[in-house]
Amino acid sequence: MKRLAIIGGLVVVVLAVAVYRAKLGAEETQGEIDALNAKAAAIGKDISVMKAEEAYLTRPERIGPIARQQLGLEQAKPDQYTASEALSRRLGEERLTLPAPEAAAPSAMDADAGGEKPPQ
Amino acid sequence: MMSFGRPREDVWGPRRARVVAGMLALVFIVIVGRSAYVSVNGPDHAASAAPSAVAAATRRADIVDRRGELLATTVPGWSLAANPSAIWDAGEIANELKTVLPKLDLIGLTTQLSDRKRQFVWVQRGLTQEEKDAVFSLGVEGLQFVEEPRRVYPRERLAGHFLGYTNIDGEGLEGSELAFDARLRAGGEPLKLTLDAGVQFVIEEELEKAFVDFDMKGGAGIVVDANTGAVRAVASWPAMDPNRRGDQSKDIRTNRALNARFELGSIYKPLTVAAAMDTGVLKVSDRFDVSAPVKIGAALVKDPHPLPNAKSVTASDILAYSSNIGAALIAQRMGVERQQDFLRSLHLLGGQSHEGPQTASPLTPEVWDATAMATVSYGHGISVSPMAFAMTYSAFANGGNYVPPVFVEQGDGAKIEKSQVMSAETSAEVLAMLRRTVTEGTGKNADAQGYEVAGKTGTAEKPGPDGYDPNRNITSFAAVFPASRPQFVVLVVLDEAQPRTGDQRTAAYTAATIAGKVIARAAPLLDVRPVLAESKVEAASLRVSEATTP
Repeated sequence: MKRLAIIGGLVVVVLAVAVYRAKLGAEETQGEIDALNAKAAAIGKDISVMKAEEAYLTRPERIGPIARQQLGLEQAKPDQYTASEALSRRLGEERLTLPAPEAAAPSAMDADAGGEKPPQ
Repeated sequence: MMSFGRPREDVWGPRRARVVAGMLALVFIVIVGRSAYVSVNGPDHAASAAPSAVAAATRRADIVDRRGELLATTVPGWSLAANPSAIWDAGEIANELKTVLPKLDLIGLTTQLSDRKRQFVWVQRGLTQEEKDAVFSLGVEGLQFVEEPRRVYPRERLAGHFLGYTNIDGEGLEGSELAFDARLRAGGEPLKLTLDAGVQFVIEEELEKAFVDFDMKGGAGIVVDANTGAVRAVASWPAMDPNRRGDQSKDIRTNRALNARFELGSIYKPLTVAAAMDTGVLKVSDRFDVSAPVKIGAALVKDPHPLPNAKSVTASDILAYSSNIGAALIAQRMGVERQQDFLRSLHLLGGQSHEGPQTASPLTPEVWDATAMATVSYGHGISVSPMAFAMTYSAFANGGNYVPPVFVEQGDGAKIEKSQVMSAETSAEVLAMLRRTVTEGTGKNADAQGYEVAGKTGTAEKPGPDGYDPNRNITSFAAVFPASRPQFVVLVVLDEAQPRTGDQRTAAYTAATIAGKVIARAAPLLDVRPVLAESKVEAASLRVSEATTP
């Protein structure tokens, strides 16, 4: 009986220690979660600032002049639009058949690399 | 008696000792038990009485356009506070702060900082990062930065009036920020407006350019999807930057598209024609004599310019060449009641409700007699907001239905509120007349190549203390495009536009020109393909072939 009481007491002590350790572990994990949440919140704030900056920098009144002056881009005029059927009729199907992407890729790469190979 | 020979304390001593020992043991057990409980469960008040130092406030939701382009967002911001009890020389600190925060009220701040009984006063709220850095570099004691979210509008003036703004505490005060305040304060997903930032920019830029060509007091421009009521652009000029709301005058802050009322003039005439045709009192073949002024009620109705073949004109001629006499004669056939009923069905007499920023309520004739009927038929004597009026033309584009304005993108399959206000035949016939007005009549300057503009000019004298002032006009142009497959309504309204070139200040030379430019630029952004004559398509194709032929 006495031995049983001693063993029971030991089990209780071991369980208490285990619960205490688990509690400490949970607290540490909670601390890590809090730290990660804080980090996520900080990153979220950074993202909101960067999105605002992106929107600010892509304002049409800023992009428009750059596109016109440095890239020579202009808005398409109505007579520059045409239906694909009209193109087919005027130019003929064979002239509209573009090379497959695989075939076109090398010449594009050559051009990018400054190669002198004429386009295929 | 020796039985009492034992000292009294000896008799009670062991019992008292046991009692005390027992009590101490009980206290010990309670302490140990409580310690064990606390070590496992934590203190009872941890959750309730000790909240985290900074509770995460719900972040106000962003506002984006229909394509997800950011229009309004919340970024971390800072405010500057001071502890006067820790400040020795309030005047010196106020002077130093003034060097980096020039808007500060020096005297007021010095007074506040001199009150050493206080431990907290705001110095300036809503600092920019640059201002914060500048204050920080001063190294002044007794100051502290308080983090406060700041509402910003990264595209500055784009849709500034429509977006509105919040106060320093993030509460909506104007525009969409006010109208959708509850939704925005709940946080979560961005509020997706029906606006298209590209189209909005086009109409704002064209209004801005209009000021180069015309001396004008103000303007408004609207683009609406006629089938759904989705508002793709709503602009007011002068433009307002909501980031700088405090710097801008009330005149600039006024949203002329929604919150101002105008007598819009002859753009009402198509409504008069439609009402009469739908009632059956007018046929397209009916002819009118508009060669001489007519008296209707107390009003002597005149045309500023005589019409071609004025003795025998059709309703189409009346619209194409904008005859006041013709419109009044048509209204006379229809009568006051029918005119009112029709305008009421279009919500021009009030009663319109929709989600989002509201429009100014209309001003209508106090006595709607024959005189009022005649003037209203050509758009005088009745004042409405441009937004309210723009929605009426949707009926000419969608087979005769009135649709209310929609400002927030609806999910797929959302029900479109609409009410039939005229028959599909009437709608189509008036639309054809509007197309003719642009190709042959007063709207020629609005004829954007390829986009089949159908529309009507309106020139209304502004009312003054001594009656209508012929030198001050509201000019407008209301349009539907493209006429062969109508999709959009455009309305341009200019307040006292006077061409700097010396041209006439009628809508044909002012608002129609602006509307044409807006349509030419906005149509591609709205996925409207131009309709061109076959020869032009062929010519374009030929140019492509020449350019690509080695």
